[in-house]
Amino acid sequence: MEITELQNKIYAFCEAAKGKKKLKEKDIIKGVAEAESVPGDEVKKALRAMIDVGKLMYSYGGGASSVEIPSEEYLREKGLLK
Amino acid sequence: MKKYNTPLIDDLEKGPWPSFVTEMKKAAKRSEMSNDALGHLEKCYSTKMGYWKHGGIVGVLGYGGGVIGRYSELGNEFPGVAHFHTVRLNQPSGFFYTSKALKEICDIWDKYGSGLTNVHGSTGDLVLLGTKTEALEPIFAEYSSRGWDLGGSGSALRTPSCCVGPGRCEWTNYDTLDLTYNLTQEFQDELHRPTFSYKFKIKSSGCACDCVAAIARADLSIIGTWKGDIKIDQAEVKNYAKTMDINAEIVNMCPTQCMSYDGKELKINNKECSRCMHCITRMTKALRPSGERGATLCMGSKAPIVVGSLLSWVIVPFIKLEAPYTELKDLIRKIWDWWDENGKPRERIGEVIEIKGMRSFLEAIGVPPQPQQIKEPRKDPFMFYTEEDVASYKAKEAEEKKTGKYKF
Amino acid sequence: MALPQRKTDIGPPHYKQFLPAVIQKNYGKWKYHEVLTPGTMVHVGESGDKLWTVRVASPRILSTDTIREQCDIAEKYCDGHLRYTTRNNVEFLVADEKKLEPLKTELKAKGFKMGGIGPHITNVVHTQGWVHCHSACTDASGLVKAMMDELYEYFETKSLPNKVRLAVACCVNMCGAVHCSDIAVVAVHTKVPNINHETFKNMCELPTVIGSCPTRAISPDPAKKSIKINADKCMYCGNCFTVCPPISIKDPERDGVAIVVGGKINSLRTSPKFSKLVIPYISNEPPRWPKVVAAIKHIVEVYAKNAKKHERVGEWIERIGWERFFSLANIDFTFQSIDDFTFMRDTLRTSATFKW
Repeated sequence: MEITELQNKIYAFCEAAKGKKKLKEKDIIKGVAEAESVPGDEVKKALRAMIDVGKLMYSYGGGASSVEIPSEEYLREKGLLK
Repeated sequence: MKKYNTPLIDDLEKGPWPSFVTEMKKAAKRSEMSNDALGHLEKCYSTKMGYWKHGGIVGVLGYGGGVIGRYSELGNEFPGVAHFHTVRLNQPSGFFYTSKALKEICDIWDKYGSGLTNVHGSTGDLVLLGTKTEALEPIFAEYSSRGWDLGGSGSALRTPSCCVGPGRCEWTNYDTLDLTYNLTQEFQDELHRPTFSYKFKIKSSGCACDCVAAIARADLSIIGTWKGDIKIDQAEVKNYAKTMDINAEIVNMCPTQCMSYDGKELKINNKECSRCMHCITRMTKALRPSGERGATLCMGSKAPIVVGSLLSWVIVPFIKLEAPYTELKDLIRKIWDWWDENGKPRERIGEVIEIKGMRSFLEAIGVPPQPQQIKEPRKDPFMFYTEEDVASYKAKEAEEKKTGKYKF
Repeated sequence: MALPQRKTDIGPPHYKQFLPAVIQKNYGKWKYHEVLTPGTMVHVGESGDKLWTVRVASPRILSTDTIREQCDIAEKYCDGHLRYTTRNNVEFLVADEKKLEPLKTELKAKGFKMGGIGPHITNVVHTQGWVHCHSACTDASGLVKAMMDELYEYFETKSLPNKVRLAVACCVNMCGAVHCSDIAVVAVHTKVPNINHETFKNMCELPTVIGSCPTRAISPDPAKKSIKINADKCMYCGNCFTVCPPISIKDPERDGVAIVVGGKINSLRTSPKFSKLVIPYISNEPPRWPKVVAAIKHIVEVYAKNAKKHERVGEWIERIGWERFFSLANIDFTFQSIDDFTFMRDTLRTSATFKW
């Protein structure tokens, strides 16, 4: 699968969980790898590339870390949204 | 700058012990944030409660840790601490610094933060206390371009730390400083990007004195030890005898009673020694370990949340620790894989071992059962037998029938 | 001004660049050390080289001003080399014996406090408290300051049977090794938390909150789309508050501290031990917590009077028995000292042999 296509799937996966479940990185890797029949390592790589550019972000709450879609406020702070 | 009246905490500037309030006041002279932190703390002292909110979502791009979000409920009253985030800098092994390096750290911190620090935090990081969200990326750029990286936080590998080791201690059994540096570099990804079920701490002590408290607060506690004899310098024993009652203070306090002293010569039955370090620490000029050096790997310790404190359990009684530490690194990866498979969110590895059983864990990481792992065997007769276990016991009996000799 | 280019995943700087020449030369080849005074020791290498260490107390919260002052001193006497200990003291590393006494003189003149090496009380491991933590139910720094002012002679001069390691945790999360200290203070809540049902549904995950409770006191409240807490089961640990901010457990009049004793982390003579609860509750009394300080000083004094040389607090108590500890220390024995959580089986007495 093309990396951009995979990244779209990852984004959709996170969007579906938004406000319902805090996703850990491994939930996303496992979930997307299973749904799309791609190796977990590939999902991980695609996911990391998204986090590196602020398309997704690591979050923290309730004593544990998770991955989520960044807020506008976060993007503005990082200079990714004018 | 607003002047706060702080009679309660002012009282903590009196007395001989160095005062943290004095430190806050020094920082407050130059920083609005620290000045408000003082007023904020006085308020806590007057009402007997804290006003900090749960950590928020802040950090540097790409990383999932190293910054702890901190916001006050009283942001309007104390705007300087409305945001008051913590930045964790990964400390050098053994907490050694040059003044040049420390002053550079201070210069950057004064530019972007409160000027307040913890040298160091409990885990080992150099903690920079109090900055605003918009300063985080500049802070990271300034520090990382000068060779300083952030430490760990959240569900990740936490910044490894160690005792002073070969830097300044005659008792260390392996190079704690090098191992800590090496593991930290090896596992940068696990440290900065939280992919675990919960936190994972690695602490390395060079001997059973455990100056970094590894046994009590690290998921992986690496405690140095040795396999050879304790070498005795009898001339130095004689010197110690001038100021010390060797029978009362050394021989009778030996937990295995493997020593004797007749007023002339100190003897050790090394085979029975459990290497507790009591005699060595009390007679350091006279006694030294010898032979093969390495460490005991223990696992699972943690503080009381959720179901009670744990001390680390012996997993690998002895491992050699020499660069590049391949055996240990492979083992750590196997440990994480098992934890990843079996742990639920917010479960430390010690808790998962309790739930899933030590056997499951040991088999997964390829470590055989050994009496050194336990204080005593199980007391109840409820146990699992696999088909393989029973087959192997039966095979042993068949062998015994052939040889006519029992093998227990 | 433009920012420099950020770098990721570089890790900490290599420690070797921070080691003084005498350490580089004698690295891993130290032969022995001697404690010269409670604030100074000398390490001797197999080469015969010597390294003097002067240990200075720290309030752990340091301003950059004080760090710079420490740096200036290190430049003057230690070729710019200094280190910190796991208990937050600062150590000046002196390679030239001629500089040792002048260093100590300057430290003294500048008000730095030297001590804590050997059978003494050294710096207190502690947590952030009201200074910087959301779950604090006391202030750790203030308690430490009040305790160490009172115990100061044991840092600077007065010896004990063995070292006494103190710790303060500002809640039961116990950041740091409070649970294995000779004497430690742990702040506790004493009331069932309140729940803001309105914000609960937006901010908290139900299974996470239910799962966070060690005593299974939390159950769903479907009508409110929230939870209920069974007051008969709740032990006020606050873990539900950690995972769910709308649960509030702070209560200024009821929050207080407990005192635990007898823990240790080294394996000398006996195995590492947890600290055990002896005083269940003392009210928060900032700024100096006089009753807490008095209790700790009292326990230190009873230990100093009764323990044998080299015995840590926990070893001494195990030798004399806990019943004797309570009578010697004249501390009321309460229900809270009997474990009704996870360690009951291991901690109840199973023989009729004990002391009156």
